[in-house]
Amino acid sequence: MTRRLRRLVLLRIRNQFLDWSGAWWFTVTLVASEAVGPLLGLVVWSAVLPGDPAVAGYFVALVAVQLLTASYENHTFSEAIYEGKISHDLLRPQPVIVAPIGENVAIRIWLGIFGLPLTLVTALAVGVSYDWTALAAAVPVLVGAAVLRFLWTWLLALAAFWTGRVHALVTLGGMMVFLLGGGAAPVWQLPDAWQPVVGALPFYAMLGLPADVATGSVHGSALAVAYLVQLAWSAAFAGVAVVAWRAGVRRFTAVGA
Amino acid sequence: MSSVVVEDLSMTYRVPVRQAGLMSALRSVVRRRYRDVHAVRDASFRISSGEVVGFVGPNGAGKTTTMKIMSGLLYPTAGEVRVLGFTPWQRRTPFLKQIALVRGSQPTGGSQELTLLDALQYQRVLYEVPAADFRRNLDELCELLELGPLLERQLRALSLGEKMRAGLALSLSYRPKVLFLDEPTLGLDVSAATTIRRFLASYATQTGATILLTSHYMADVEATCRRLMLIDHGSVRYDGPLGQLSARLSPYKLVRISAADATKEVLAEIAEVVSTSGMSWTLRVARADVARVTSVLLATFEVADLAVEEPTLEDVIDRAYRDGV
Repeated sequence: MTRRLRRLVLLRIRNQFLDWSGAWWFTVTLVASEAVGPLLGLVVWSAVLPGDPAVAGYFVALVAVQLLTASYENHTFSEAIYEGKISHDLLRPQPVIVAPIGENVAIRIWLGIFGLPLTLVTALAVGVSYDWTALAAAVPVLVGAAVLRFLWTWLLALAAFWTGRVHALVTLGGMMVFLLGGGAAPVWQLPDAWQPVVGALPFYAMLGLPADVATGSVHGSALAVAYLVQLAWSAAFAGVAVVAWRAGVRRFTAVGA
Repeated sequence: MSSVVVEDLSMTYRVPVRQAGLMSALRSVVRRRYRDVHAVRDASFRISSGEVVGFVGPNGAGKTTTMKIMSGLLYPTAGEVRVLGFTPWQRRTPFLKQIALVRGSQPTGGSQELTLLDALQYQRVLYEVPAADFRRNLDELCELLELGPLLERQLRALSLGEKMRAGLALSLSYRPKVLFLDEPTLGLDVSAATTIRRFLASYATQTGATILLTSHYMADVEATCRRLMLIDHGSVRYDGPLGQLSARLSPYKLVRISAADATKEVLAEIAEVVSTSGMSWTLRVARADVARVTSVLLATFEVADLAVEEPTLEDVIDRAYRDGV
């Protein structure tokens, strides 16, 4: 990334952070809607596996992962396409991707500001603790998950160039992350035959993996493989997103704003 | 030297169509039908550096499509366009740094929670404007557009007129060489529209920027442009000096007389009566007939006042829209 591009991204994050400051109350509702899934998981799976400390540790970590990887490109980027506002970004002397990246990171910062204290309170309430080395190992995986989930959602959001029903598609994508990524059930609770398949899919690398690394259940060579899987899926999504973006812009610039 | 060169430009949209009713809706699921809409047809023109050109035409004439192509938002079906030597739809960074598109329907883009000053600072970084130049540009824009009270206000909280002034300031803070203005006074009150017109005329003179302006308000065009292009059904119907438009497009003049003894019946035998107010009458007279008609009027009535006028630009263009050019 060139110095200028890095500066533009940081500036965009700052601008979007300021932009969202006017809707902090809305951000609180987003925190609630993002946290409710993992918190329900915590309640349900604690009842299913009473006394298992891994369950509480996993789902509390999952609250933080969910908040810090949340992506709303169907509401931000797709709406800009629908309303024609993407024209402004197309005519700016910078890559258009700077805008969705900036807004995505800014929203996650706001979700973190309101949501991480909630995660901390939950951790204290259910009495979970983490090993610092495991938490440190989870940071790069969390960053990878954030990138991967952004690319996944942005890729689906690009469908707005072709259809007016992008929300249904992104909701389906979110559902797949929830079901296959460790939201509905920890991957280690799935049948043995499913675990390698689900582990190889991108969804686990977006959601459950950082939580598993934080609890120390994924480490060593398994962690190295997980990094590689995350990296491979990120590269694949980035490649497909570039192709889709070019086709989408070509269509947009043929049909008009 | 030409800043804008457009040759044989055509743009055709392919739009889905279907008949009304359930069966047609079901049929369209498996077999969609399309119709071609020709927004621009073989348009060719050149705009010299520093020229301010009015681009007018009825709704759906192809003005905005042409402007979007020239600014790089659309790529055409056929033809060639060069703006400052660049192909617009490639949207190269050096090109984007030298042009601006300001749309009356969306004057400001980006984060609406930012203050105008924050948004201007963002433009400075984005367009890599040296701090001293930016300061000087900003001072000028503040003076011309009366921006002082707006700088610390959020964009979302500005009124329509203020948003337009802010949008112009954002677009001009980096001194673009070519400016595309799409209905810049849309929805503005008389005072706000006058401020914008005055600013545009002044900006064009001061900076030597090339400006292409579309508007439905002829006052915008009259205040800022010497050259006018009239587009209809995607084709350029007139391209020339604003002052010659009436002579070229309108085969008549208006004769206004004040005469106490004039009656509609008698006047109608002499010329076409357009309007009346008290003892004043306005007649539409073919250009070649003006001398004859005025002498008949003077001989027939006790004329207190008589004036021969060109029809207003609005009238000429309205007639051109309705009757064709």
